[in-house]
Amino acid sequence: MTLANLKSRLEQPSFPAEIYTLDNGLTVIFQQTTSPVVAVDVWARAGAIAEPDAWAGIAHFLEHMIFKGTEQLPPGSFDYVIERYGGMTNAATSHDYAHFFINTTATHLPETLPYLAELLLNAAIADEEFDRERDVVLEEIRQAEDDPDWLGFQALSELVFQHHPYGRPILGTPDHLLKLLPEEMRAFHRRHYQPENLTVVIVGDTPRDSTLALVEDLFGSFAPPPPFPDLNIAAEPPIVGIRRSHWQLPRLELARLMLGWIGPGADRLSDAYGLDLLSVVLAGGRSSRLVRELREERHLVQDISSSFSLQRDSSLFTITAWLEPQYLDQVEARIGDCLSELSSTLIPENELNRVKRQLCNDFSFSTETSSQLAGLYGYYSTIAQPEVSVTYPQRIDTLQPEMLQALASQYLSPYHYAAVVLTRAPGNDDI
Amino acid sequence: MSSSLTRDRNHLKVHRTVLGNGMTVLTVENPTADIVSGRIFIRVGTRYEQAAQAGITHMLMSVLTRGTQQLSSMEIAEQIESVGAGLGTDSATDYSLVNLKTVSNDFSEILNLAADIMRSPSFPESEVELERRLTLQGLRSMQEQPFSIAQRQLRQAMYGDHPYALSALGYEDSIQQLTRTDLETHHQAYFRPDNVVVSIVGRITQEQSIALVEEAFGDWKNPDTARLEPPILPELTPQPQRIITEQDTQQAILILGYLAPPVGSPDYTTLRLINSHLGNGLSSRLFVELREKQGLAYDVSTVFPTRVLPSQFLAYIGTAPMNVAIALAGLRQEVERLCTTSLTDEELQVAKSKYLGQYALGKQTNAQIAQIYGWYETLGTGIHYDEQFQDDFAAVTSEDVQAVANRYFIEPYVSLVGPKEAIGMAE
Repeated sequence: MTLANLKSRLEQPSFPAEIYTLDNGLTVIFQQTTSPVVAVDVWARAGAIAEPDAWAGIAHFLEHMIFKGTEQLPPGSFDYVIERYGGMTNAATSHDYAHFFINTTATHLPETLPYLAELLLNAAIADEEFDRERDVVLEEIRQAEDDPDWLGFQALSELVFQHHPYGRPILGTPDHLLKLLPEEMRAFHRRHYQPENLTVVIVGDTPRDSTLALVEDLFGSFAPPPPFPDLNIAAEPPIVGIRRSHWQLPRLELARLMLGWIGPGADRLSDAYGLDLLSVVLAGGRSSRLVRELREERHLVQDISSSFSLQRDSSLFTITAWLEPQYLDQVEARIGDCLSELSSTLIPENELNRVKRQLCNDFSFSTETSSQLAGLYGYYSTIAQPEVSVTYPQRIDTLQPEMLQALASQYLSPYHYAAVVLTRAPGNDDI
Repeated sequence: MSSSLTRDRNHLKVHRTVLGNGMTVLTVENPTADIVSGRIFIRVGTRYEQAAQAGITHMLMSVLTRGTQQLSSMEIAEQIESVGAGLGTDSATDYSLVNLKTVSNDFSEILNLAADIMRSPSFPESEVELERRLTLQGLRSMQEQPFSIAQRQLRQAMYGDHPYALSALGYEDSIQQLTRTDLETHHQAYFRPDNVVVSIVGRITQEQSIALVEEAFGDWKNPDTARLEPPILPELTPQPQRIITEQDTQQAILILGYLAPPVGSPDYTTLRLINSHLGNGLSSRLFVELREKQGLAYDVSTVFPTRVLPSQFLAYIGTAPMNVAIALAGLRQEVERLCTTSLTDEELQVAKSKYLGQYALGKQTNAQIAQIYGWYETLGTGIHYDEQFQDDFAAVTSEDVQAVANRYFIEPYVSLVGPKEAIGMAE
């Protein structure tokens, strides 16, 4: 490769949005596009990893309580205003973040954004609403527990992350939730919903100056944070050997084999994207290695998939198969062989090109709307820096077979991983 | 109230062309992103099936990508994946779909591949067997989902011998018996140019789209036989009943079902508004009354599928087994309240702006735009229905709402899946 060629490959694409930092430390990302839909997405570094152990589940429960209003806004009035103007709103919580978004129009932004800011800054977390909403979260847990794939994924996360809070269920557990107090949640909220932890992203056809002035006005002043113990988040040590866990579930029709490996954090993005690419080599589409062999040719699985989830401190790489229980051992062994092959043999060029093209196209297919763009910027602002969000296609493009081979042997060992197996519990209905 | 999203109507123009062979082509040029989405609709679905062959359309659509006269299953997959495109198939109640998504430069290649799988599928014996196995496993997987079970038993009770009762995936018996010849016959009957609608949206001009479709499908001829129309079906008479499955789950799933009007009927538009009032969004009546105020559920809402023939209106909740009695009473009360209490002007207005806003938000991506126009054309309402529906919707009155509620919300079918404790409470 010539130097000039190398230079052009490493050049960073320019970030299409503008990034500002308010005096109080809050990050604002703004992009004017031609879309009539204006997306506002507020990201907070206030996910489940910010929870003290005893408060597991509080970050997600707080996301629910934020919608319950403030001293100025009765419960439900925020949802009502947004929807009355033809917009929609929702929120989500993960380990690294909680985020809250609205889709509206430029005309209605000045009427709706103040409500969102009021909720986020001044959530009341009233005692009586707290008890009622806890019942809703308990229902959410019940519903999740009727889903075997959710149960399996929970078990796998716990098995992979035995020290880092990434192993913790985001929804919490009924035991923990029943002990939580509203004042504890108010302290958690005041501590973590502070400007230095927040990113406000706005994308759509809305005028720049007035929109930025509106954000600055609405997110300018926060109550001072209360004293709060610092958390020491333990780094997760590498998995040694094979950690196994077997669950027997009633009503299960197909067995599950779920395997997990620890990946790099967001400070090693190119390595992370290399693993993302390897997940597609293994199980991204009918021509991928595992799907082709185990489903199409040998009929050993109903389906098999692989996924890489980028997380700030350390990512999670998984392979999941849905299959008849008699094939569990055989399939696990074949997956192991495939991984050995990845670390011993270079990926052929045509296969690599195919996978790169799939990933780069999927990236452009997932940045079509205002809310997809706002989500992308906010997510990277929260776990890394916003600018890197658009470097994905370039970084994928620079990955070479040798680098991928090294990544496979560093991260995807067939001898060191976590394995969860779900099978049907023997019962009366099995006669 | 001032303007809302719907008035924008995207500034996009949709063109409708009929080729010489009767194939309908809809095109929308949208240069915003370097993406072209195509949706090819075929007028065949569960509605066209007999019970003994239930699931045949789903199986046909799945096997379609598994071999043509020229290409093997793996060659098809490699051709799609090597340009990072999407090409998939799907089957629904009233229609079936071939979906395409590419960057603009690759569209022509993938459209030609779509034409190949639609026109010359080879139904390789081994691929039919693989698909049969995957479908049977898929049917078993559905048994793991309490909501699927509740929905399925309700559909069967409401529709009886009508094909809307059938499971899209079929049944163990019907899937075991389907042969390669059955698939071929089904394909020959419905895959013909005058039974197909192609909808293309993205960075591509109208002229380019038409030329590409002409090239891929222009020489495709209709057989001499007339197009097969779906069977004329008997009228449905409501026979409300309770259908219960006892299962050891954490949550009980409760669904109320009412027979409902088909798309295009004036009552359809009004019931769509009722659906918005009761079930759309975080400010909907069921969400506020049963979740926000009583903490009974995480998921509580309504479903009103758009159908060519009489549809169903469902109100559902997932709740703790001990709360089944209060949840059932609450759901019924909120639905039936509309028969006696008329919506206030404010409630009516919110139901309108909320749904029209969400309707506009549902037309953002090229794929969404291609879907909505192709779908209206396929269902027989025509592409102008997109605007007509929004106008009619905006004109619904609270008198309409009460009249329609009284026509459809008589006695509900009740479907329940849950543990013994829950079932006792629903008696």
